[in-house]
Order: sequence, then C-alpha cells, then structure tokens
Amino acid sequence: MDSFSHLGQGFSVALAPLNLVLAAAGCFTGTVLGLLPGLGPINGVAIFLPLAFALHLPPESALILLASVYMGCEYGGRISAILLNVPGDAGAVMTTVDGYPMAQKGRAGVALSISAVSSFLGAFVATVGIVLFAPILSDWALSFGPAEYFALMVFAIATLGGMLGGKPVKALLGCFIGITLATVGIDSGTGVYRLTFGSIHLSDGIQFIVVVIGLFAISEILVMLEQTNVGQQVVRVSGRLLFNAQEFTSALSTMIRSALMGFGIGILPGAGATIASAIAYTTAKRISDKDGSFGDGDHRGVAAPEAANNASACGSFIPMLTLGVPGSGTTAVMLGALTLYNITPGPLLLETRPEIVWGLIASLFIANVLLLIMNIPMIGLFTRMLRIPNAILVPLIASISFIGVYGIHSSTFDLVLMVLLGVFGYILRKLHFPTGPIILGFVLAQLMEQNLRRALSISDGDPKILFASPLAISLWVLAALVLLAPLVWNLLKRVRGPTPAARDKTRNVPLDGTRD
Amino acid sequence: MKSADGKGAGRMSDRVFAVLWLSVCAVIAFQMFKLKVPFAYEPVGPKAFPLLMAILMALCCLMLLIRPDHQVHWPERPMLMKGAWLVASLLAYAALFSLLGFPVATAAMSLVVARLFGGSWMSSSITAVLIGVLGYLVFDRLLEVSLPLGLLSLDA
Repeated sequence: MDSFSHLGQGFSVALAPLNLVLAAAGCFTGTVLGLLPGLGPINGVAIFLPLAFALHLPPESALILLASVYMGCEYGGRISAILLNVPGDAGAVMTTVDGYPMAQKGRAGVALSISAVSSFLGAFVATVGIVLFAPILSDWALSFGPAEYFALMVFAIATLGGMLGGKPVKALLGCFIGITLATVGIDSGTGVYRLTFGSIHLSDGIQFIVVVIGLFAISEILVMLEQTNVGQQVVRVSGRLLFNAQEFTSALSTMIRSALMGFGIGILPGAGATIASAIAYTTAKRISDKDGSFGDGDHRGVAAPEAANNASACGSFIPMLTLGVPGSGTTAVMLGALTLYNITPGPLLLETRPEIVWGLIASLFIANVLLLIMNIPMIGLFTRMLRIPNAILVPLIASISFIGVYGIHSSTFDLVLMVLLGVFGYILRKLHFPTGPIILGFVLAQLMEQNLRRALSISDGDPKILFASPLAISLWVLAALVLLAPLVWNLLKRVRGPTPAARDKTRNVPLDGTRD
Repeated sequence: MKSADGKGAGRMSDRVFAVLWLSVCAVIAFQMFKLKVPFAYEPVGPKAFPLLMAILMALCCLMLLIRPDHQVHWPERPMLMKGAWLVASLLAYAALFSLLGFPVATAAMSLVVARLFGGSWMSSSITAVLIGVLGYLVFDRLLEVSLPLGLLSLDA
C-alpha cells in the first residue's frame, strides 16, 4: 500500500526532535486548556496559532503543535467533567452524566483512567481511518472544477449553519459576517481597495490572526468575567486509580462502537465532537443499559462519549486535509494557519506537500500515545491545575495573545483592532450567535470568491455553469436539504424529546457543535 | 422603549442588532456601488461578491427582525462596570504596548485584570510583575519573538 510508505515518511517528520518536543508541549498545554472550564479546543488552537507563526516554526511543525493542542483539549475536557461536574469543553458535556456520579462514589480514578483509554482508542481508530480514507477522498476531489468547489463550500456552510446549528439564521448570518470581514482590503483580481474606508492599515485586509484571537481569546476573557463566581468543590481522587480487567472488557465494545460513530460524524462538516459524544452516549445507553445504571455512575457511560469525541476530533481532519474545506471552527483555524504560510489547502496538498499531511497524521498517532501516558500516571498533576485561579490565568492568556499578534507584524493597529473585534465577538455571543461559522466564513471567503469568479469567467458570465455537473447539482441539493433539516429535526424533537439526564446536563451548553 | 416583561426586553436585543446590522449592509452596498473599477477582464468584478453578502446578511437581519429567537441576559450594572474596565484596560494595553514596552504595559494590564478577576492586591501585584518580567525573558530572549522594551530601553 502506498499510504504506508507515505506514513513512514510522515513518522520521520513527526519524530524529528523539534516536532516531538512541540507535540509533547502541545499535548500538555492542550490538556490543561481543555480541563479549564470555558477554554476549549478552539481557544487553545487560536492562542497557539500566532505563537507558532511568531516563533518561525516551519509549517509542518506549526500544524503538529496545533493538532496536539487540539487532541490535548479533547482529553482534558473529561477531567473537569468528572471531578467538577463542569465540562471542560463542549465535547465533554455527556461525560459529566456518568463521570461525576462515579467520582462522588469514590471511583474517580476508575472514571479518569477508563475515559483516558477510551479517548486513546477513539483517537487511534480515527487516525487509522484518516490513513485509509484521506488518499481516496483527495483523489476524488482532484476532479473538482471551480463550480464544484464553490458548491462544496456552500454545502459546508449550510451544514455548519443549518443542520445542527439550532439557530440557522444566526449561524448563517455569522458566516456571512465572517465572509464580509475577509473581503476588506485589496481585491486580488483587480487590485481595487474594498471596504477599507480610506485606511492604510486596512488595505492589506484584516489579518486572520487578529480575527481569531479577537473572537476566541479576547471575547472569551470577557465571557469569563461573568463567570468568576464559581466556588465549586473538586472531588478528591481516591480509591483505585486504574480500572480492572472486568471493567475494561465490559466497556470495550462500547468504546469501539462509539469510536466508529465518532469518526463518521467527525468527517461530516458541521457535526463535531459535541454531537458525536451525545449520539454515542444515547446509543450506548440504549444498547447496554440493562439495569438502569446509566446516569448513576456507569463506566460505559464515560467510555462512550470520550471515545466518540476524540474520534470525531481526529475525523474532522479529513475534510480539512483532503478537500481544503474545514468542517468545524477548530479545523478552520488550522486551515487558516496553512494559508498564513502561503500554502493553498485543497486536494493537491497531499501531492505537493506530503510532509505536511503525512507528518500531521503521524504526529496524531504520537500525540495520542503521549496523551495516554500523560493522562494516566500524571493525572494528579492535571487535577491540581483545576485550582489555578482566573486572576492568574486571564492576565496570562491576555499577554500571550498579545505577544502572538504583536510578534507577527509589530502593529499597534492590529492589537487595537483585535480588542475591538473581541468586544464585537462578545456581543455576538451574548446574542447567541455561534462563533464557529464566523471563522469558517472568514477562512473560506477568498476561495469561495475566487472559485465563483473563475467559474463564471469560464462560462463567460453564464450562471448555469454552477449547476452544470451532476456532482455540483447533488452538492446544491444536499446544501438545500441540510438547511431545511432543522425544521424536521425540531419536529422530531418535539415528538420524542431527549432523555431527562441529557436535558439536565445540556441546559447550559448548547449542543450546536459550533464550538468544536 | 422598554417592555415591562423580561422576555420582551430580551428579544429587543435581537431586533436592535438586526437594525444596526441592516445599516451596516447599506453602508457596504453603498461602498460597492461607489467603487470605481478601471477595467474588467472578467464577467464578475470585485463588487458582486460583497454585494451578494450584503443582500444575504440583510435577508437574515429581516428574518431576525420578524422572528427574534432568544432572550439575552445582559449583565447587571456592577458587572457591566467591571466589563467596561476590562475592555478599557485591554484597549489601553493594545495602544500602549509598544510605547510603554512589553514588561511595563503587561504588568499594568495584569494588575488591573487580576484585580477584576478577584485577586487580592498582594497576589495580583506578584502575578503582574512575574508575567511582565518572565514573559519578556521567555519570549524575547529565549524564543526570539521580538517584543518592545519601551520605557526600559536604555538607548533612549
């Protein structure tokens, strides 16, 4: 198999000393950011992105660092879910349902270790999936013309905004706002300045990093200010630290099933870790809950969502790497990282820059092993991190964000714009706008416009070209379907209704998948 | 205009935002019509895409106006004041970052922000000094991300 020789090549990239150190550092800080309530993968990746760039890391190393932070966050979210009953990130919402009761019954060690192993298994299954499916998908995508590409991006936006958004109008509006922000500056086709309002600072457009840090670090700080009053008790880890053989074998089938489901869901644009873990949990409950122990501290109820959310996080790399179209906010940020290095994402990436793609895939395997090692013996260290007060954390996040943005262009204007965008992002979040679509729109805007204009140049202005091929037509139909799906979804929800436990836990965290 | 029940007040936010954003759409559309394009090689010039976005955003805003969907809980007055302080200190940090230099600007920002997040004077001051000094040493000296020294630079 060709893939395996490429993977070998990838391992030689990922095992280079610098990349190994970055992976370890990323895994560690990712876990810490993941376990801190409020900060999730998208914030972690956003804060690290400008740093990676300012440190002059080569593109494959930067991506390895960001991917390890992402995976670390998915591991870390479960720690606060189990010990605090507060999900550390949106993907760990369902882990609180059985994780916290387990901790209360003195089985915190078992819950933490079995969820670490399921996280490992989920991520491992999904990474194998990437190795198998990525080359196939990218071969297929090579046949895409500009019209198909445009339709594909419309489909990605429609899924993120429509199917699972819960508030399609706001998700779509957010996405259009992101696209509009990206059109500011010089137009590459004609050289005219658009929407710069005469400002020299805006003539190059709004920097991607400024938008990312504004939306995901500054606005997060403003949101955190309102939540300073939490005086929750951390459950002490006592009793057995490791699960026993019987617990492992009884959960194994749940883990594998959840991992496969998570991977499949992760590939879909728009549906991320949050949705995956919710579906995996409800499925596990339906299949295995014979004595009603789910919701009351069943270890399988911890294993299912954790396997699924890690699998889905890894699966979400597939559309980003093979199509150049990210399916989630976090992968959109990573895709933007590539464009900072003047690397055009898309199906050609696998051929032109194999060291980036395969290096990243290999580093997912390595990061996963590192995380398993960190998360079982070193768990005590991480639980202590739960006590970091915001009075130290927030100034630290603010200064690191500023260092990253300043380190790139040394521009005061960028810093001020970043704070203003942060305030704008805060207002949007208070109005219940999901932030994922904004960044997705911002990242996709240029490609969308280029492909639209290229397609219409080919047809000399005839819009029929957008609907000319069967592939394009099916993508348009799919996009229309997912936009109409929320209506059907809502009807179904009204008929069936979620389980009482799930409804309880998800009241505060919207299950819209836009913060994955 | 204030409605008596909290529900109405909450949904008002969506409407206010929709109206404001409609005017943003109008500005974008106006800017695009005003735009002078020297000559076009291609059937679709630089105006079409932003215009399309303005129209789509306007449609979304109209839908929000007709059916605002969420209650918004804006923070109470004391929290709003703290928020204003936080924004002001971040803006000042941004504006004075290169003038004051990283260590001084960061320590000042950290002190205010740590206080806002409930730190005591003592612990906030220690945090502030540590982040300012260590941040500079780690990032500028160790990791070679060039940061301004500002007030502390000796060559002035």
